[in-house]
Amino acid sequence: MTPWKPKIVLYQCQWCLFSETDQKWVDSQRPRNVRLVKVPCTGRISPLYILNALQGGADGVMVSGCLPEKCHYKEGNLGARRQLDEFARLLTFVGLEEERVQFAWLDLQERGRIQAELARMEEELTALGPAQHLVTRAPVKEGGLA
Amino acid sequence: MSDLQSDIRKEAARLLSENSVDVVIGFENASVPLRPQPAFIKRAEDAEKLVFNGFCQNNLATFLNRYPKTTRIGLVARGCESRAAYALMVEHQHPRENLVLIGVSCAGILDWRKVEARAGENVLSAEEVNGEVKVRSRLGEFTFDRAELLHDSCARCVHPNPVNADIQLGETLPEGDKALARQPIAEFEVLSSTERYAFFTHEAERCIRCYACREACPMCYCAECFVDHTTPRWAESTVGSSGTHAWHLVRAFHQAGRCVSCGACERACPMDIKMTYLTDKLNDDMQSLYGFEVGLDDTSQPPFAAFSLDDKDRFVS
Repeated sequence: MTPWKPKIVLYQCQWCLFSETDQKWVDSQRPRNVRLVKVPCTGRISPLYILNALQGGADGVMVSGCLPEKCHYKEGNLGARRQLDEFARLLTFVGLEEERVQFAWLDLQERGRIQAELARMEEELTALGPAQHLVTRAPVKEGGLA
Repeated sequence: MSDLQSDIRKEAARLLSENSVDVVIGFENASVPLRPQPAFIKRAEDAEKLVFNGFCQNNLATFLNRYPKTTRIGLVARGCESRAAYALMVEHQHPRENLVLIGVSCAGILDWRKVEARAGENVLSAEEVNGEVKVRSRLGEFTFDRAELLHDSCARCVHPNPVNADIQLGETLPEGDKALARQPIAEFEVLSSTERYAFFTHEAERCIRCYACREACPMCYCAECFVDHTTPRWAESTVGSSGTHAWHLVRAFHQAGRCVSCGACERACPMDIKMTYLTDKLNDDMQSLYGFEVGLDDTSQPPFAAFSLDDKDRFVS
């Protein structure tokens, strides 16, 4: 039997990976337990996206975006940082483990950073085990109602 | 209190007869004791209907944006109502020039649930005399100390005095203690995550999704709330745990740095669900991270509406 692997949902800003190899890895070579949702900017991510992923059975959510002053839309990441950071803090306040929502703010020069971040997160989540809290939406079974 | 009430009537009658406002929003007696209801007074002779006592539990600022912006409103404003009015002005819900704040210092709202818990249901009459509350119910007559009946939010109120009111009635009260207001959050934070989650689910899952908290809240005025939005439906509209968790978390989150901690949501809740611990936590974070406190003037944007590059130290790792 294969060992249990945590399901991670990656919300990725489409501009944050400057290196083509990294973007290719995320697009087509990432591990199967990482689900990718590409967004135009981290500012597009509503806290409800993160909550929905966690309620729907994700063991962890990672948001990757650009550093301040590097945002393609000038200041989308600044707003996102304030909101999503606080939302993660609120989820921790009501009893979610803080490792389950993580952020990776990537810089131009950092090649291979996203792989390292995901590997580290997977390690932490494997130690924590499957998510128990806030998982309230039963995942749709195959062949069941859509 | 009765002096204050006659002062409010006098001021309301004066403002209406001078034609400096179109409507005065205050409270009037309803058919049941303990629950005075909001009143909208348009003629000076009706100002006699206005009442003011500790049982006035709504936040009247809720009604500001139900009027056109050109309507000149006189608002009977306690500490939390004046701050909610200022927070609404920041969000351009009503212009300052069309608003007259009739400021009233507030000694705290009495929780009708606490009265009923002590005096039994079917309260026949209740009145406040010199810091004591005299209640007559089917079980007999009772006298309570005012302090023990205060609503939880009011017991830890920081700003009992109205902010920048146009007319100030009653004497100014001492400001509340911020450390006391923070105490329940600190006590909750030291619990283990399992205990915190157990408390959260126990509270949230009693919710019947009546949205009374939303209607009572002065800051909840969206034309379409996220839970009513159907394409896409981000939060389930059922009373299942998924829907109630999402409602309580995201409702509170939308109040971050906007909630004036009046506790109107908890007083309106028919299921007696605790929810101010969420908004208090968010407000506390806004205070510690951005030094922001809501409703103290009509220009400061809440932290989620304004952002700056000074945050960049917080882009850790």
